Amino acid sequence: MKIGFYPKMAVSGMRKNGRLYLPYIVACILMVAVFYIMHLLGFSKMLENFQGSGTAREMLKLGTYIMAIFGTLFLFYTQSTLIKGRLKEFGLYNVLGMNRRNLGKIIFFESLISGFISLAGGLLIGIGLSKLAELGFRKMVGLDSSYKFVISGESVLCTVIVYGLIFFLIFLNAVRQVRFARTINLINSDKAGEKPPKANWFVGILGLLLLGSGYVLALKIKQPLSALAVFFAAVILVIIGTYLVLIAGSVLLCRILQKNKSYYYKTNHFVSVSSMAYRMKRNGAGLASICILLTMILVMISSTSALYVNREETLNNQYPRHINLSAGNEGYSDSYGETTGKVMNGINKEVEDYGAKVTNSFSYITCSITGYFEDGKLRLDLDPIKMLDDDPLKNMASIDYDKVTQVFFFDVDDYNRLTGNNESLSSGEILAGVVGKLQFGNELTIGDETFKVAKKIDHRQGNFKHTMKNLVLSTLIVVVDDLGEVATRYNRYVEGSGEKMLEWEWYYAFDTDLDDDKQVILCSQLKEYVRDELYQQQFHAVRCESRVGERQDFVETFGGLFFLGILLSVIFLVSCVLIIYYKQISEGFEDQSRFGIMQKVGMTRENIKKSINSQMLTVFLIPIIFACMHLAAVLPIIHKLLQLFGHNNMPLLLICAGICVAVCGIFYAVIYKLTSNAYYRIVS
Amino acid sequence: MSLLEVTGLQKIYKGRRGGASVEALKNVNFTVEKGEYVAIMGESGSGKTTLLNILAALDKATAGTVMLDGMNLSTIKDSAIAMFRRDNLGYVFQEFNLLDTFTIEDNIYLPLVLAGKRHQDMSARLAQIAPALGITDLLKKYPYEVSGGQKQRAAVARALITSPKIILADEPTGALDSKSSDELLALFKQVNGMGQTVLMVTHSVKAASHASRVMFIKDGVIFHQIYRGDATDQQMYQKISDTLNLLAQGGEQ
Repeated sequence: MKIGFYPKMAVSGMRKNGRLYLPYIVACILMVAVFYIMHLLGFSKMLENFQGSGTAREMLKLGTYIMAIFGTLFLFYTQSTLIKGRLKEFGLYNVLGMNRRNLGKIIFFESLISGFISLAGGLLIGIGLSKLAELGFRKMVGLDSSYKFVISGESVLCTVIVYGLIFFLIFLNAVRQVRFARTINLINSDKAGEKPPKANWFVGILGLLLLGSGYVLALKIKQPLSALAVFFAAVILVIIGTYLVLIAGSVLLCRILQKNKSYYYKTNHFVSVSSMAYRMKRNGAGLASICILLTMILVMISSTSALYVNREETLNNQYPRHINLSAGNEGYSDSYGETTGKVMNGINKEVEDYGAKVTNSFSYITCSITGYFEDGKLRLDLDPIKMLDDDPLKNMASIDYDKVTQVFFFDVDDYNRLTGNNESLSSGEILAGVVGKLQFGNELTIGDETFKVAKKIDHRQGNFKHTMKNLVLSTLIVVVDDLGEVATRYNRYVEGSGEKMLEWEWYYAFDTDLDDDKQVILCSQLKEYVRDELYQQQFHAVRCESRVGERQDFVETFGGLFFLGILLSVIFLVSCVLIIYYKQISEGFEDQSRFGIMQKVGMTRENIKKSINSQMLTVFLIPIIFACMHLAAVLPIIHKLLQLFGHNNMPLLLICAGICVAVCGIFYAVIYKLTSNAYYRIVS
Repeated sequence: MSLLEVTGLQKIYKGRRGGASVEALKNVNFTVEKGEYVAIMGESGSGKTTLLNILAALDKATAGTVMLDGMNLSTIKDSAIAMFRRDNLGYVFQEFNLLDTFTIEDNIYLPLVLAGKRHQDMSARLAQIAPALGITDLLKKYPYEVSGGQKQRAAVARALITSPKIILADEPTGALDSKSSDELLALFKQVNGMGQTVLMVTHSVKAASHASRVMFIKDGVIFHQIYRGDATDQQMYQKISDTLNLLAQGGEQ
């Protein structure tokens, strides 16, 4: 035998089975491309200039791992259908005198060729798509975009290693299948009476348990970034759970349907239900793959579109006036207020010097402290955030994140100015409000101090609403008669690092009568001024931002994320289409002879069409339903993530999610219909 | 009028791209009466299977007519053929052609389900024929769990359950061992005894010796036929063997 014999055999084998091999290789290429792009975005420095890139990159890193796991499961599934069709051919070679080693060599070369094509094609498409995306992106946010799509050697290498490994595993699996089969079984493999799977309660229940615990874990996460490991665990649980439930559950469903005689023995259901039960094991894997892809699409598009659509509102929440200034300091001192008071006068003078007028202004000073709220009492002695950061899995059980609470103290004078009310308090009395689900009675204990609640207040009154934004924690609002006197008492609380727990903050915001460009110029002047003044006095987090100046940044960030979401979704959608197509084609070939027999027994074309439709309807809805369930479980986390971007519009998020589900559902239905026609052409 | 009348049947397979065409059936004429058990014998390539496929409306004749109970098969529209087959014919295949996705019971129900019958009716009919076929214990099993003979009995049950006008059997013992063959042949005889018309194609002398009439097909024409009369299976076997010997020697009638 010549050296080139096995490669030649491999090539001709692949060419002869082109109808099966082509979709498989295209699927591989897409998987590789998706992995590359995800890795590129998550791990390279490309997104570094992004505001909020930390969150996006963490999620993309997570997505990369998920793609690796998903890719393995999915490719194993597709390859198992592929090899099944080839076993007969291998059996024939075996009879003609090739031993298992020779067959292994053919498989090796086939794997090598398909692996090489997949990796090369996938990387090329990945690079091409990222270049294309760059162009689209620049169009979307303007030419001065600072985000460049580059070719990352690290990403290429990682993709080659990960998918090389996956292809190698698949190769081993194929060899195993050929090695351990008898020749006669190989030859008869396509007509060997395959055992219809039994309904496996154990796997089904295990799947349900995994799915349930994944959901519980996901819903328990209150702070997505600090608990990313937990979130990852939840995602893995849900993916595996979905696979198990769909694999075992779908068999179970078919068995139940078969028990129902008046349903089962109908012309339309008879054939479809039985053949579904027969191949549900693999069918379930295909459905689960579709479901996972759909979930990823739904999550990405609904979250990023909600961000993008809501960008003006987010901007206005974040920057309530044309010019917004703030600064913070540690602990409490009367001198802080005096300094910022002077600075405010200075600012007003600067604005006047610029020839403009300060209008619609508001300012306030607040002090905040974080603790753990239990039984109407805010404990300041434990540090729950640090505990969760250190060991999220262990401490998640003992710490309820909903109870980690931030309290903001306001002076009653500031409160009256902001709301336009006219409240007066005596010493020890407070007005109290709450953001979140905390409950308290007529008394409120914060640390060692106990206050008498004179009245409960709504924080959304007048300008007071601007004091509460970007809240991730549960929040108490406490208005006291003398902020200085109360805050001084909390100066003694010190964190583990030795810093004072109490944070002091000043905020000043106003409109001007200037046009957009001049606002930006004025803002940069003011920025220099307040920085000079405040940094010298040990103030930190000194900010001076104009709404106009930040708008471009918002559009870029949110538009960029939205674009990313669309890009990835399109790729996922194509993969999804491919899986569905692949599923239909491979099942079509399987069913060809079966429908042949049935036609001999008296099945009409009409019957065939109807039974295909019935099968379609039963199978069609499952992935969508599961994807919606997954989406619902993950929405609270998405909401929390979006809050980090200053987005706090749950109804909009829900609407976006709803639209996404509808659009995806319609698209999915169309694809299903089209591919089921391909199936029909094969079997009839 | 006979149940089945075949007149001047001809079937020519056209060679592809101008290749030589093959005349599988030249001029086949015969009739089958109701309640008859007819075997058609012939060697491989004699046109038996082609004939059976045309009778089963699986294939179209080039010329000639097939009348089943007064209906002309060639005038049935393509769209109605499957339904016609379902309602009038029972087909038993050499390779059983049971579907491995169904239990034996469901395999037998298949033609009735396709015809849209109610489940109660189906199970009532099955209850009637199952004991006679000896498959009552097999009903819940899958085809891969039972032997070839059992599969073929299930296939016979599937053919019988629609109460067809005629049962067409294509080498029904071809894939069976001798014991199973004997059982199956006894079964056909029993079914025929209940008044069911059976037409079997075979090249097994033993199988043919159970029939009430044996027709010999050679080179696309019915060459000869033997009636059983009062002969036993054993005598019939001898008669058929003699005829075959004669045929093999190329003798004339």
